[in-house]
Order: sequence, then structure tokens, then C-alpha cells
Amino acid sequence: MTQTADPFSFLGHDGPVARLIKGFAWGNTPLGRVETWPQSLKTAAALLIHSPVPMVMLWGEDGVMIYNDAYSVFAGARHPALLGSNVRDGWPEVADFNDHVMKVGLAGGTLAYQDQELTLHRKGHPEQVWMNLDYSPVPDESGRPAGVIAIVVETTDRVLAERRNREEFQRLQSLFVQAPTFMAMVSGSDHRFTLVNPEYRKLIGGRDVMGLPAREALPEVGDQGFFDLLDHVFTSGEAVKRSSQRILLKWRDQGPLEERFLDFVYQPIRDEDGTVAHIFVQGSDVTERVRGENHQRLLINELNHRVKNTLAAVQSIVGQTLRHAATPREAASAITARIMALSGAHDVLTRERWDGADLRALVESAVHPFRNPGPDAFRLDGPEMRVGPYAAISIALALHELGTNAVKYGALSAPGGTVQVRWTVADRDFRLEWIETGGPPVIPSDRRGFGSRLILQVLPDQLQGRADMDHRPTGIAFTLTTSVEAVSDQPA
Amino acid sequence: MARILIVEDEALIAMMLEDIVTDLGHDPVGPMMRLQPALAAAEREDFDFAILDINLAGQQSFPVADCLIRRGIPFIFASGYGRAGLAGDYARIPILQKPYDPGQVAAMIASRAAGA
Repeated sequence: MTQTADPFSFLGHDGPVARLIKGFAWGNTPLGRVETWPQSLKTAAALLIHSPVPMVMLWGEDGVMIYNDAYSVFAGARHPALLGSNVRDGWPEVADFNDHVMKVGLAGGTLAYQDQELTLHRKGHPEQVWMNLDYSPVPDESGRPAGVIAIVVETTDRVLAERRNREEFQRLQSLFVQAPTFMAMVSGSDHRFTLVNPEYRKLIGGRDVMGLPAREALPEVGDQGFFDLLDHVFTSGEAVKRSSQRILLKWRDQGPLEERFLDFVYQPIRDEDGTVAHIFVQGSDVTERVRGENHQRLLINELNHRVKNTLAAVQSIVGQTLRHAATPREAASAITARIMALSGAHDVLTRERWDGADLRALVESAVHPFRNPGPDAFRLDGPEMRVGPYAAISIALALHELGTNAVKYGALSAPGGTVQVRWTVADRDFRLEWIETGGPPVIPSDRRGFGSRLILQVLPDQLQGRADMDHRPTGIAFTLTTSVEAVSDQPA
Repeated sequence: MARILIVEDEALIAMMLEDIVTDLGHDPVGPMMRLQPALAAAEREDFDFAILDINLAGQQSFPVADCLIRRGIPFIFASGYGRAGLAGDYARIPILQKPYDPGQVAAMIASRAAGA
């Protein structure tokens, strides 16, 4: 017996799959024993077994499979049982697909698929895979297609990566579109708008600025320093951040520019070689916050002003009362009563947010301490009207001084005395009268105390009018005459 | 003894300023409590010094200040607001803060009247 030559020597390969091919019982397949194989089959088998690219040959009508080492890796747990099996049996889950391949290939056609999605059961469970598949016929000795050779490159990793990238991009895009803050990208040294989100468009009054250089897109912003800042970021590569920055924007074709306040960041974006190519603009319109803060600052200033003024008013009451009081006890009670009168006027003003006071409410408040528990000595008579805050305080203090005097020496010092407080408006003239009746006769005093100074000198000065004190036998009558403008604190 | 124009919109405070100025041995002119009379006094009256409340019933008294600057009459501002809003020519004018310290009023009158 001579040593028989290796019938698989035509493979010229000794890899793992080549060894399996050599040991395989081909006699049990439609291919038959290797000795019967046509040269075309052998050549094609040798060609694919050497290729580093995953390749499989489907030979004959049944598509008997011969493949290489790279394909065995792709086949997963299906290998090695897959070798020598019919393709429709070997990959039952994609039998229809392969049936079509076989028909086209054996008819002499070619097929090419890019990122073909298939569900394979390589590891005992369904698995989504993507492949680039190229099929071409293998002719036999007569030139007729006898098999189909397939180059099988799995692209699952790349497809999934691309899909992740795309999803990531869509997420970023929806973030960009739905962001509650304004965002834009400007590119190049002239800061052309290359991205603008809806909030940014809202900020600039709905203008379409895509593709335009910033200075051209928003001309009204030109001299407000923002573009110089963009220039700086572009050349220096340093990000800048600003808070509560005022900007004037054109929201309408006509009329004044819109004042807004912005918190924003200019973030330089560098290209591969490290130079600044774009600037990402991101920020918030904080106009409401800034206005609120300004309003609050104004209120605090105003409050501080009132507190200081009130302290000065109290200082004045104390200083002047002490100057004229006979005894510390008298001084103490007069100071308290005057501060209470001032406080009462403040209460009336506070109810109307210091815009002014209803005159009747003011008079009621001023005469309240002098009302008897019994029959009411006061008659208030006058139209409904408002007085300004400065006039209100002086009138309230004046009525307090008149009331104090009436209790001490006048109509309210005796039972049955009455006081009529009457105000009238005729044309633009305002008249306020305090008329006492039923009290003892009052002799005019030459003492110029706090009360008479306030009533007869300062009050008419302030209200740019006249004050008269008439000592009638029936009691005193005080008359203030001025203009409606003056009691409204309006400039004459 | 100097004649001192008092411009102050609140009755009680105007009275006190009059007293402070009188106690310091000066002769008060006014008080002027609204912008128009204050402006008329600033233009016409004869006085050496002025104490000028910045806010006169909601109007700013800067026209009065301008008149005083034009006439070369020294003055100080009075305010419960502090220095806020004072710029330009007014920035160098001293401010008398409410409530008033008579000692400070005296010092301000002395230093301003001396041309400081």
C-alpha cells in the first residue's frame, strides 16, 4: 500500500476550520466525498479558507456551507455544526432570506446589502445584528453557477454606535430646542449665527438671523459692547460671563427699543487644531428679576427716607415742645399727644399707600382723641376729597393743636361746647374751617408756641395760602384758605 | 450772623431748622416749602447761605441749587436719602442727613460759608 496523498492538500491551509473540513464526512452531504469534488469547488474553497474576511460558500441547490476561520467566529455557537450543513437548515431563522440568495446566485445574479438587519440565534437567543453582505455566483467548469460565495461583515457595533450618536444628537437637539434658556452658536470672526434656539429667537423679537453676521443681524446692539465682547472671546479664547447685563433690543419696527436684562455666557468652542471656531452663547432673560430687585431697592430707599424724615419730625416735636413747656410732666404728655397725632396721620396715609389721604378720614383721625364719650361735640362737614401726603400730615398736626387748645381753653373745656370742622371746594379754592361755639370767651394770647406757629405760620407757608384766627365772643374760628393744587401737593 | 435760606417741604422739620438756625445766632429766611416759592426766593432774596432739601413734595430742588450755584451762594443739601442720585456739580455739595445734629449744621455752615 502506498501512502495516499492528502486529498485536501488543495486547501493549502491548516487553520482550525481547514482541519475540520479535512476531518468532515463529506460523503454524507450532497457534495459527496472530496475525491469527487469538481476543481471549481476546490479552488473556491481554497480561496475563501485563506481570506481574513468572513466568507462562506453555499454550494449546490442545497447551499452546503463551507466557510473560513473568520466566519466561524461570526457564526458563534452555530460553529462547528454549521460546517457542511445546508444553509436553510443551518440558519433556520433567516431561511427565507437565504432562499432568495440561493435563487438569485444560482441564476447568475449578485446581491449586495449594506447594514442589513437580521435576527440571528447564534448564542441560543435572538439577537439583532447588522451586516454588510455581498453574494456572487461561483461557476463550475462549464461556466454555470454552481454555488454562491458570500462575504459577510458584521457591522452591528458600528450601526449601534451610529444609532447611539444619532440619538445623542437628537437628545441634544431637543434639549437645545426645548431649553428654557436662550442658546445660539456664532461661527467665525464675524460671528455668523449657525444655531439659534426658539428662546434666543424670542429674545431678539422673532427675527430670523441664521447665517447672518451678528453685527448685521442685530444692528441696534452694535454700540452696546456685546459684539466687542464676542470679538474678545474669539481672539482670546477666554469664556466670559455677565450678570444682569442691560441690553436694548428692537422688538418692533417702530417705537422705542425694548430694555431687557440678561445673565449670559460666551463660551469659545475650539476646532481640532485648537483655534476658536465658534462661540456658544447661552443665558437667561432676567428682566423680571432685575426689575423686582430695583423695585425692592427703591422701596428700601423710600422706607429709609420715611424713617429718617419721621425721626426728624419726632426730633422737631420733642425739641419744640420742650422749648415751650412749663414742666417736664406737661412736656411729656404734649410730646406723646403730638407723636400720636403724627402717627394717626401716618396710619391714614399708609392705608392709601402714601399716595394721599381721604380728608374726612384724616380729620376723623385727628379729632378722635378729643371726642367725648357722651354727646359728640364734633360736626364734620365737607365733600369727599383727597389731600396729598405732605398736606395731610400738616393738616392733621394743625387739627391736633386746635383740638388741644379747645380742650384746654376753648369750646371743649366746658360742657355743651361744640366744634364744627368744615371744608369746601369752590372752583379751585380750598377752605378749611374750625369753628368753636359754646365755650368760654377766649382771649388772644401773644405767646407764640408750637401750635400757633404751626397753624398760623408754617401751615399757610407750606400750602401757599392764608391762615386766620378769629377770636369771636362765641369761640375761636380758624380758617385756612388755599388752592386745591396746594392741598393735593401739586406744584402751583 | 448770617441770613440763611431754609428750603424744606415738611412743616415740622422746617420749624426745627428755623429753631436750629436761630439758636446758632443766624437769621432764617423762609422756610420755603415748595419748589416755586423756593426758586423765587433763591433768585430774589438777600441771604448768605442756604439749606436745601433735595425733595420738595415729590419735586427735586435742583433748579434751586442751580440758581444758588449761579449766584455763588454757598449751600448744603438736606436729605433722608443719602447721596444717592447726586452727580455732576451736585456731587461736591455736602449733605445734611435727617434727623439733624445742630452741631453738624453749625460746622457745615461755618465751613461752607468760609468758602471750603
